[in-house]
Amino acid sequence: MPVSREEGKLTPLYPDPPYFWKAHTPENIERYNALKQAYADDKGLDVADVARVPEVPEDLCYLNPPAEPADGKWRLFGQQLSLEDELQSLEAAGIERLGTAGDGADADGRHVDRALELKRLAKSLLLNYLELTRVMGNNPSQGEAKVLDIKTILLNMHHRINEYRPHQAREQLIQLMQESLDSKRAETATIRNAVDKANRVLTGLASIEIPEFEKKETVSESAKTQRDLLEKRLSELWDQIDERFS
Amino acid sequence: MTDRLTQLQEAVDQLTNQFIACFYFLERHHDLEPFGPSDKIPDLKPEQQKEVDSLPPEVFQAGMLELARDLILKEQQIELLISSLPGLENNEQDQLKMMRDLEEELKVAEAQRLEAIKEKEEVLAKLDQVLRMIRRY
Repeated sequence: MPVSREEGKLTPLYPDPPYFWKAHTPENIERYNALKQAYADDKGLDVADVARVPEVPEDLCYLNPPAEPADGKWRLFGQQLSLEDELQSLEAAGIERLGTAGDGADADGRHVDRALELKRLAKSLLLNYLELTRVMGNNPSQGEAKVLDIKTILLNMHHRINEYRPHQAREQLIQLMQESLDSKRAETATIRNAVDKANRVLTGLASIEIPEFEKKETVSESAKTQRDLLEKRLSELWDQIDERFS
Repeated sequence: MTDRLTQLQEAVDQLTNQFIACFYFLERHHDLEPFGPSDKIPDLKPEQQKEVDSLPPEVFQAGMLELARDLILKEQQIELLISSLPGLENNEQDQLKMMRDLEEELKVAEAQRLEAIKEKEEVLAKLDQVLRMIRRY
């Protein structure tokens, strides 16, 4: 619902706010949120996961984010982007593919072949360089073809390495999860140890507390002042300990 | 430290750089040879820029040997990196399965951890109580 802008006005110092700013009233936002909530409930989704409500009244259309491009492509700062972030294939870039086609995985989806192919490429890279030095020594004008060969090999190597990246990313994620699992288990074990130790101390305290309790009753009058002094000191000590550990 | 793939790519780039460096060395320090009987090496005036900075033959040979050895070393490094790429034996399904298993284990471990923390707090409270009792008396 674009509003046509009035022509012939003086150009203001600061640009006007976007023409749809009036759509963002508190009532409209509330209505939109209610619609979103209803849509989320309808589809059994969490509200936070709903990016866009497919059908909204026309006066709320500016509150709704635009739909994904239908053909999966859009332009940003003059650059063509696509929804699928794919690695451009060698053929599409106009480079000859060396070795076997495909992603280098065998029937099980393993990548043993890929390492072998990379090694082959690395070896032929060195061999081609040796040939290049010879050609350059004998007839430098013919060196260009060899340089192009080397370039093709290098591009192939880099492409193969990049093809491997998604696999590596998953592999790293697995490693990370394993690490966090290990650290969690270690933490649990440490806590358990500390708890056990504290429990032992408690049982130890329980066994010596009772005789002291009885002693208190049988204390003689003559030792009372001495005991008071001791108690005073003890309470001071406890205060200090409390202060330090609070 | 970067991941192995990046290391590998960097090693390949370094190898390429070494190629160029080797050419530079050969081009700059080779000896001058007459091709035919009529050729002769011109005597340059001292102020003229020398096209070739010839090294004595044994130094030149030693330099070539060193550069060649470096090239082979880099090549071996690349092959080592290729061999040590992680998870060559796993395919995508295996990886996904491993991730799911790990997720489950993580949940269990987290529950155990919380339980242990709870236990710790209980013991702490008990200990506190005991300390207070001692103090009172």
